[in-house]
Amino acid sequence: MNVLLLISILLYFAAMAVQFAASAGKKAGLHRIAHGILFAGLTAHTAMMVWRGIAAGRLPLANQFEFASGFAWAVAVIGIVLRARLKQEAVLTAALPAAFLILSYAAFQPREIRELMPALRSSWFGLHIGSAVLSYASFAISAGLAVTYLLRLRKGASPEDGTMVRLDYVGYRLICFGFLMLTVVIFSGAIWAEQAWSSWWSWDPKETWALITWIFYAIYLHQRLRMKWRGKRMAILAVIAIILVLFTFAGVNWLLPGLHSYATAG
Amino acid sequence: MKKVFLFLRSMRFGMILLCLIMILSLAGSLIPQGEEAMTYVRAYGAGAASWIIRLGIDDLFHSWYFLLIMGLLCGNLLLCSILRFPKTLRTMEGLKRQAKEAEWDHPLAPGQAEKIRDRLSAMHFRRDGNLYTAHGIGAYGSFLVHLSILLILLFGSLTLMTPKIQDLTVLPGDSLTLADGTEVTCLSFRIENEKGELDYTSLLRAISPGGDREKEQEVRVNEPLRFGQYKIYQQTYGTAGRVLIQNEGNGAEETLYLTEPAFLSIDSRNGVYFQTLYPGYIQEEDGSYTLITSTAMGYADPVYSVQSISEGSSASVLAFPGETIRIGEISFIFLEPEEYPGLRIKTLSPFLYGGLYFGFGLIVAALYLCFFHTPVCVRVEEEGVVIRASKEVPELRAQLDESGQGEFSI
Ligand code: HEM
Repeated sequence: MNVLLLISILLYFAAMAVQFAASAGKKAGLHRIAHGILFAGLTAHTAMMVWRGIAAGRLPLANQFEFASGFAWAVAVIGIVLRARLKQEAVLTAALPAAFLILSYAAFQPREIRELMPALRSSWFGLHIGSAVLSYASFAISAGLAVTYLLRLRKGASPEDGTMVRLDYVGYRLICFGFLMLTVVIFSGAIWAEQAWSSWWSWDPKETWALITWIFYAIYLHQRLRMKWRGKRMAILAVIAIILVLFTFAGVNWLLPGLHSYATAG
Repeated sequence: MKKVFLFLRSMRFGMILLCLIMILSLAGSLIPQGEEAMTYVRAYGAGAASWIIRLGIDDLFHSWYFLLIMGLLCGNLLLCSILRFPKTLRTMEGLKRQAKEAEWDHPLAPGQAEKIRDRLSAMHFRRDGNLYTAHGIGAYGSFLVHLSILLILLFGSLTLMTPKIQDLTVLPGDSLTLADGTEVTCLSFRIENEKGELDYTSLLRAISPGGDREKEQEVRVNEPLRFGQYKIYQQTYGTAGRVLIQNEGNGAEETLYLTEPAFLSIDSRNGVYFQTLYPGYIQEEDGSYTLITSTAMGYADPVYSVQSISEGSSASVLAFPGETIRIGEISFIFLEPEEYPGLRIKTLSPFLYGGLYFGFGLIVAALYLCFFHTPVCVRVEEEGVVIRASKEVPELRAQLDESGQGEFSI
């Protein structure tokens, strides 16, 4: 498994490097090579997750390592699907660094497979964690697109330029999907908490931070819809938002222990 | 006055309230909640600690100002949703009117209009003369999102604040009688399942006061027992000593659980005084025992500390499981201890859960409507096309754009 993890990280890195080179030189051939490497990386990554799921006899998303690995996996999958649908390399260029960095973070987490603690044995587990992975992955790619937008703006691209408008729009749509998924995460978690701990909300740090993130994205959506914010302001909000997401995902586990502390266990 | 009202119902005020909730939540997650005053003094110094206590930051999520902000948010949402509702109802009408009155978004070449009409029909747009409409239901999305937030806040606060919660222990074989006469019996309790995994499971039977309803269920983490207004959770567990008492005089025998000091006697003079159960012991080289008080390792080598009292004299003894102390005709046989569950019994109307869970379901469905069912009206004539939607719809524009490849491209 360690070998598969290492191979996946290296291939994601290589795919990212080639994709960057291809974008810089506008070379379609290089893009195809990057796609090939990414597919190979995703195959190794998927094999690792399946292997781990079989070894553990459950969904491999139960601790910080597994969740981070699932997060990176979803980033790669959503990136590939969106690129295929929109025929846009910018999506992959934004997704690849995220997939590489998150999987590298995973590699530093304890990896031994432990028995699932009783509170995690629930039919809500799959929905709660699965939607979290999808939501975080969408937010991560939207933040990648926001960074791309801001970089292009600094290089002198006009906000009215078609490419820039579309970058802004795809980032927004990813946030819509991520927001829907984050809502599923919060409310499936609430029902689960009510079953396990008798209270659907207890202001546990993880819950509180998920709520902070959710409210922040709600403000983002309102500013876009009603205040007609676009472009730079939206991109800055998306970048701030991903910092909140990452803190909810990793920072809370290390800095603010609470009911969700099992997430730090190996 | 009107200005104040307009501000209170405005989205700007709503966003300010959301920002305040975010900031307070952030503070509440960084500053430990519900701790003793000394904890704050140690962490932040006396001056800051006194402010934390005075401003109620030590219990921020129940402070008057946090609850006030939540109340204001409800009021703001309610006003904004109700006052906007008539406009919501007329969304599609408005789009149709705008489409009729607008100049062409895309002028068309001869023959193109037919293709666009075909495409719209294939996409299940509804036709009304030259107007094609779709996703009218999406207009209710944001109204329903806000309504569900109100439902969640209303039913959520009731489910958090009104239930009666009791934490009770029950020994296997014993029953609890709840306030309305419902009887809950613990038939058995185990810590590990057959596979050796920890699963803390109580087998409970609940019987309604009249005896007309009965339910038996294994209760474990994630699987509480629902019975009318009660929800019974597996909460904790404890370890109880057990003693089998045999009376040779009349042949009677009885097993008792020992959880607290008790004098076990028939004539209230002679018998065994149970003091405590130790989880383990270490036998020293000189034969003496060092008793272990920590339960961290479970009850690996349990030992009973008792006093035997007979004819006015008493002696302290350690009794190991399997050992018997005889006093007159009575034998006290100490058995292996047994675990028993600590149950949490929550009394709350199922109607309130219903309201809360309905709110959860509604918000997900409503967000789906908001994001994936944007109401749109397309006017197609031979000279050109007008697209009017309640939000940006570049995918549709690209799909209808004859010059594009039917794709939305960056
Ligand atoms: C946590 C709280 C809130 C959430 C999650 C929320 C969510 C949403 C969503 C998802 C939309 C639709 C966005 C879209 O279609 O892109 C929306 C629209 C809207 N929201 Fe909120 N909202 C919240 C609070 C508020 C508050 C406090 C106000 C204050 C008045 C407000 C006013 C509006 C308005 C006016 C719209 C536009 C409706 C329309 O044009 O159809 N929202 N909201």
